[in-house]
Amino acid sequence: MAELLQLEGVWAGYGEAVVLEDIGFTLEAGSSLALLGRNGMGKSTLLATLMGATRFKSGRMTFEGRALSAVAPHARAGLGLGWVPQERDIFASLTVEENLSVVARPGPWHLQRIYAMFPRLQERRANMGNQLSGGEQQMLALARALMVNPKLLLLDEPLEGLAPLIVQELLRIIGEMLSSGDMSVILVEQHAQQVLPLTQQALVLERGRVVYCGASEALRADRSQLDKWLGVGAH
Amino acid sequence: MKSIDIIHAEHRALAAVLQALRAVVAEIRAGQLQPDFQLLSAMVDYITQLPEKVHHPKEDQLLFPLLRARSAKAAELIARLQEQHLQGERMTLALMQSLIHYQSLGSAGFAAFDALVQQYLDFNWTHLNLEEKELLPIARAVLSAHDWQELDAALSANADPFSGAKGEFEALFRKIVQLTPAPYGLG
Repeated sequence: MAELLQLEGVWAGYGEAVVLEDIGFTLEAGSSLALLGRNGMGKSTLLATLMGATRFKSGRMTFEGRALSAVAPHARAGLGLGWVPQERDIFASLTVEENLSVVARPGPWHLQRIYAMFPRLQERRANMGNQLSGGEQQMLALARALMVNPKLLLLDEPLEGLAPLIVQELLRIIGEMLSSGDMSVILVEQHAQQVLPLTQQALVLERGRVVYCGASEALRADRSQLDKWLGVGAH
Repeated sequence: MKSIDIIHAEHRALAAVLQALRAVVAEIRAGQLQPDFQLLSAMVDYITQLPEKVHHPKEDQLLFPLLRARSAKAAELIARLQEQHLQGERMTLALMQSLIHYQSLGSAGFAAFDALVQQYLDFNWTHLNLEEKELLPIARAVLSAHDWQELDAALSANADPFSGAKGEFEALFRKIVQLTPAPYGLG
């Protein structure tokens, strides 16, 4: 597989504060990575750094061989990076279908395929964004990111705050998305046991540094390290 | 997926439906929700059939015999868990009958159904906790790599907790998600 994203010795943060220290990893096209760690360890900051929303201090980030730090934040989506932030940020004053259509770009993910994967969104296609429940909003946020047809999709705790029933349904959908191989995915999640079976690679951050970077399956099997790095989140 | 992940995942799927059942019944009790018998039937059907047809056979026929042979402490616990499996089957049968009564009698049948649901939920949380917090840690400690390989091979034949052996539970689970009112589901 071709190399899609590569980070070497990346340091980044907010203002003068350094959050990420010496981050390095490689992601191949079509592969998936679980980004794990306790609260406040730098997971969301790493995604924000990829999108250009933090202060990049030093290091090297390349996307398809191109230096990412030289690309303006607003132009990174155009390169093929899709971001689903924790806040979801759906357009409250647009309908579900408008939310999806307004960002559509050519590629394997189109409205029909989205509706087949999220039948609930098809049922609610004429509803405004602010008329959706939390679970429906999260589905819309995911679906909207797919409509951009990104080469790399960044999902920031997509299961956070949702009821267990909806979590199970979203895990099934995310599993389908990952196995389609249409894009690479970085999935930030607190609950390792739910996402490690879905991803190929895993990266664990502790205080802004990488403490594990390797196969998800190997990490899943190492209970003592999971407990040490993730505590209750390991289960 | 490895066998222990499959068991955890099935526990999570069951727990998700149990949590939604508890929320729906509480809202009916509080007068905030009209009973949706299609939803209640789907939930009771799921918590009856998934353990009986998909989950307990894995434990009773594969995990428990292997673990019993490896640990005396586990053998004692397994005897309790197997009794609970049988008790669970009796309770879900009573729950199904009570739901039918509730549907026929209307609101006059709710109190009995509600009482059985609470009893079943308490019973099941205890059972799931016993497996998660006592049995599975013993399994991790005493089963050998060869034991796990054997279990993985046997359990991978039916790895998906939502679909079941013939995919029969996937539609049921999705139906529950669709019918359960927000914020617990998408209804």
